[in-house]
Amino acid sequence: MMTFFEKQTNPLDQAHHMGNLMVDNMYTSGTAGKKFFTHLKENDTFLASRCKKCGTTFFPPRLYCEDCFIEIPEEDWKEVPAQGTVRLFTIATLNTFGEKLDEPKVIGMIDIEGTDGAMLGYIETDETNKDLIGSKVKAVLREKKDREGTVKDIRYFQVL
Amino acid sequence: MTRKVCVIGVGNTDFNSMTPDVSWKEFMYEACKKAYVDAGINPREDVDSFITCAEDYWEGFSIFDEFVPDQIGAVLRPCCTVCGDGIQGLASAYMQIMTGLVDTVAVESHSKISDALSYGDVVLHAMDPIYEKPVAGQVERERFSGPSYPEKSPKPLVGKTDEKGRVHPYYIAGLEMQHYLRSTKTTEEQCASVVVKNKRNAYDNPMADYECSLIEDDVMQSEYLFKPVKELDISPLVDGAICFVLAEEGVAKNLGVEPIYLNGFGYSSETPWFSSRGMDAGYATMASKMAYKMAGIKDPKGAFDIIEVDDRFSYKELQHIEALGLAKPGEAAKMLENGELEKDGKLPTNISGGSLGIGNCLEATGLQRSLEIVTQLRGFAGKRQVKNPEVGLAQSWRGIPSGTGAAAIFSRYPEVKA
Ligand SMILES: [Zn+2]
Repeated sequence: MMTFFEKQTNPLDQAHHMGNLMVDNMYTSGTAGKKFFTHLKENDTFLASRCKKCGTTFFPPRLYCEDCFIEIPEEDWKEVPAQGTVRLFTIATLNTFGEKLDEPKVIGMIDIEGTDGAMLGYIETDETNKDLIGSKVKAVLREKKDREGTVKDIRYFQVL
Repeated sequence: MTRKVCVIGVGNTDFNSMTPDVSWKEFMYEACKKAYVDAGINPREDVDSFITCAEDYWEGFSIFDEFVPDQIGAVLRPCCTVCGDGIQGLASAYMQIMTGLVDTVAVESHSKISDALSYGDVVLHAMDPIYEKPVAGQVERERFSGPSYPEKSPKPLVGKTDEKGRVHPYYIAGLEMQHYLRSTKTTEEQCASVVVKNKRNAYDNPMADYECSLIEDDVMQSEYLFKPVKELDISPLVDGAICFVLAEEGVAKNLGVEPIYLNGFGYSSETPWFSSRGMDAGYATMASKMAYKMAGIKDPKGAFDIIEVDDRFSYKELQHIEALGLAKPGEAAKMLENGELEKDGKLPTNISGGSLGIGNCLEATGLQRSLEIVTQLRGFAGKRQVKNPEVGLAQSWRGIPSGTGAAAIFSRYPEVKA
């Protein structure tokens, strides 16, 4: 049929030596990250930080404005609801090995309310053919007792 | 007198989905040797400085720089790695030559991605580890808890089904393509035409690996993998190596080779935060503005006889043409429909076949595009030769999830006639 379907694509069929990288990393949360996730552990809302000079409200919150290149002090942090609007979405069908996922996943870029930022996250919906753009969604969080202070505490976004 | 920098030699391997017969060193040697023969020089004496463009994770080495000198002729010579696209390497070479410290610089870049068995995970690993990467899912394994390695050391990822739950990071392209289609009123069918054009162009490029005769329906009927990105919208991975030899123009005159001038270049990076960054290829706009200014080009429309832009996903070709200021938002698809992007059109685009037709060679993409421009300007492009081109533009992007791009302007003259 098509030429590119006939190519050899499994390099493991050829003479080779195996190798891999045994590497684990931890990533320091940072001052801003620690504040955000400590808050999320105890509350059902998000934190954002606002640059006084240009007015940009960063989400996820940051200690500095990348545009003005100045620090954002503590008093310019604010609490925002854990909800937003779907700016974009896609339906992912493959895993990192290029194989089919057990179930397709709807992933969205969610504009977080009261901020100029957004976050990537799963959208729980039965209607995969529906145009979700502009839909209001809210973050479904883990039960408070199960929260560990990572982004995984945000389980998914639910269409309101 | 101002120094002028030109290309005096190019060399490359074929581009293939796999290269099981040669090691990464052997095929880098092949590309470099061809470039040195093309320029008529001996690298052990005539090249003053060597640059490789590579990224450790693609290569599967720590400190890949150390594995480079022998196969490019650089043992015990000034040699360094630019961790970026090949055009960023050309920019470094240009600047080295302009200092007057060196006259001749070799720039090499390659993809041996068929050796990388964890491509999707390497790409995923390029995302913010705290807020963004975990969205795709994480490898759950024994926590590393002390200075010595844990007793139950993690098993290699290959072949373990329970470790395959992470979403392929190309979902980012699905989001971005949706944004492009909506904001410019471009259609999926028009993006399909990019695939048809580039895979057809690749038939006339002997080094391309993914040439194919398709119609738009074939593309439209291919499966949605990251809706609206379909299987055939994605450029497949390819192996290949390319080497450029740049020199001060006096070197070209002494060697008697016809110089192709590097008249301008630029590069730019978006913020890495998806939460804050634009989705309109701002990196390409800024990189090209820098290049136009350097080359003295006031209006890019009509300035180029041929362009090669990054098309790692079909929509990217159209998005990049617009970001480069060569079409208004939404008009690139109309140019394509009017035949303007064909070999005999007003703005021949990706006549090489692009990444869709040749294959995605990662950090070597910028050099692959530059190679086509230089080959065309020299008049050596054979069946795909554009009629008498004088000025060309090569543009590249570092791929998902990066927001970095570069552009380079080449011509047959020391100054571009604006
Ligand atoms: Zn600011």
